[in-house]
Amino acid sequence: MTSAEFPAGAPAKMAAVAAAAGTRSAAGTRAAAGPKTPPPSIEFESVSFAYPDGTQALSGVSLRVEPGEVVAIVGQNGSGKSTLVKQLNGLLRPVAGRVLLDGSDIRSIHVARLAARVGLAFQNPDRQLFANRVSAEVGFGPRNLGLRGADIAERVAAALDAVGLSPAAETHPYDLGYSKRKLLAMASVLAMRTPILVLDEPTTGQDARGVASVRAVVAGAAAEGRTVIAISHDMRFVAECFPRVIVMRGGRVALDGTRESVFGEASWPELHAAYLEPPLPAVLGARLGLGSTPTEVAVVAALRARQ
Amino acid sequence: MSIGTPAQIASAAPDSRRGLPDYVLRRPTGLYRSLNPATKLAIAALQVVAAFVVPGWLGPVAVLAVLVVVAVATRTLRDTVRIGLAAVPLVVSIMVVNLFLLPGAADPIGRFGPLAPTWTGLQFGLLTSARLLAFSTAITVAYLTTPVDDLLADLSRRGLGRRGVFVVGAGVQMVPRTLERAGEIMDAQRARGLDTEGRIWRRARAVVPLAGPLVLGALTEVEERTMALEARAFSAPGRQTLLRVPADSTRERLIRWIALAAILAMAALRLTGRMG
Repeated sequence: MTSAEFPAGAPAKMAAVAAAAGTRSAAGTRAAAGPKTPPPSIEFESVSFAYPDGTQALSGVSLRVEPGEVVAIVGQNGSGKSTLVKQLNGLLRPVAGRVLLDGSDIRSIHVARLAARVGLAFQNPDRQLFANRVSAEVGFGPRNLGLRGADIAERVAAALDAVGLSPAAETHPYDLGYSKRKLLAMASVLAMRTPILVLDEPTTGQDARGVASVRAVVAGAAAEGRTVIAISHDMRFVAECFPRVIVMRGGRVALDGTRESVFGEASWPELHAAYLEPPLPAVLGARLGLGSTPTEVAVVAALRARQ
Repeated sequence: MSIGTPAQIASAAPDSRRGLPDYVLRRPTGLYRSLNPATKLAIAALQVVAAFVVPGWLGPVAVLAVLVVVAVATRTLRDTVRIGLAAVPLVVSIMVVNLFLLPGAADPIGRFGPLAPTWTGLQFGLLTSARLLAFSTAITVAYLTTPVDDLLADLSRRGLGRRGVFVVGAGVQMVPRTLERAGEIMDAQRARGLDTEGRIWRRARAVVPLAGPLVLGALTEVEERTMALEARAFSAPGRQTLLRVPADSTRERLIRWIALAAILAMAALRLTGRMG
């Protein structure tokens, strides 16, 4: 377990986690500077989606994400996680049901316009990096949003600082290692300062320092009131950073609740059915009678008491 | 160590088959799909030659009719049409060029200012387009009805070196892989606000962000794939073991010889002027 408390609850606490990680400076905090207006609520109303080859990826998904919520979506490969978040910015459109932002159906809104509200960092950075400098890559999104000159420079600097890539600003993206390219892809979305931030498998391929950077980004965005949605197979990361967890299985929502309830022993059969393992602290907590989200201190104390 | 013949593997108890890759156990179903990949290639070659060598409309029309029947029987008609639509720009350009610019054509359909489309040009353009469609459809149907791993296994069995097999495999899989990658890149850039559906100058601006990752990703992938192959003893000396050998038979060998003979006969007749 990390030194951080396992269930860092409120956004303020998560910001403290970010500070503890030591990866964010003042400029870094500005990188995730929240939107002037609060993020819109997100609502999926009986959303179904099938790919052209007939694969039914989503079947009647209904859920609501309140402004400023920090939500993790977990599930086995092919359970519909990525398909679900791609509905948010119009990359995919439901074949049935509706997706609403602040109560408005986004069906007819162009992807380029939705990109100003929903920032989506893809899993594979090599599917998007094209510029010959890291700073130019990060400036691509803000430029598409209509920003110019100093505004872009300020956002680029802040976003790079947020992920710890400031020293590499003039480097060619492909001279960076995979984990840094992944952080770069994340910075390029952070620089757009969208009220909703969606991260697809942000910790995959990251070492401990990279994971700490990702944690800091999530905590910072949450502290600023932005809605954060992350898809992840990293249950420890999910348990540490996301107060709400949605489990998907076979294109449906199998579980949706607080991490305490989703990782609680009563939900383990459902987690196992979705080919997921509860995080180790949850297992320890259940075995030691400490609940599903014990702190490291509580676990150590309980183990000592047993000796 | 021998793992047994395909028939033995297929009939083995489920426990003993556990862990084997899907393509080892998969059996093609249907008369055409279950043909040996070499037989399907021979048939496709015959169709292509017939479409171009048999004079007039008979060649391309007959070939297209046969291909439609095969596509329906193998349930690939929809995908065949979808892939065939990629040839539309080429067909349009063939039609336009021949309609208006065919040398020696002097039977105008009408006159539109300086342009004078001709009946001869129209006929030649349609015939050329039909041949082109027959060509592309023959390749498409063979591709859609032949799993790539079956084709590669069969080429290996026939003695094509492992490098040759790798080149063929990479070539065959390049188009679908590139399309898949292009789709992902398009999604990623649109998610960053790139407008790929607006006016023409906006689309032109999108070329570099879309083409850049496509090319760079392809280069990276080639490097990674090469290393992955080497890590799995790609260059090791000795004969490789084939996990699966696509079925072949005397009947199919006969079909291939007949196809080859027909191709040679048509070519000879055409060259000697006895076939139009």
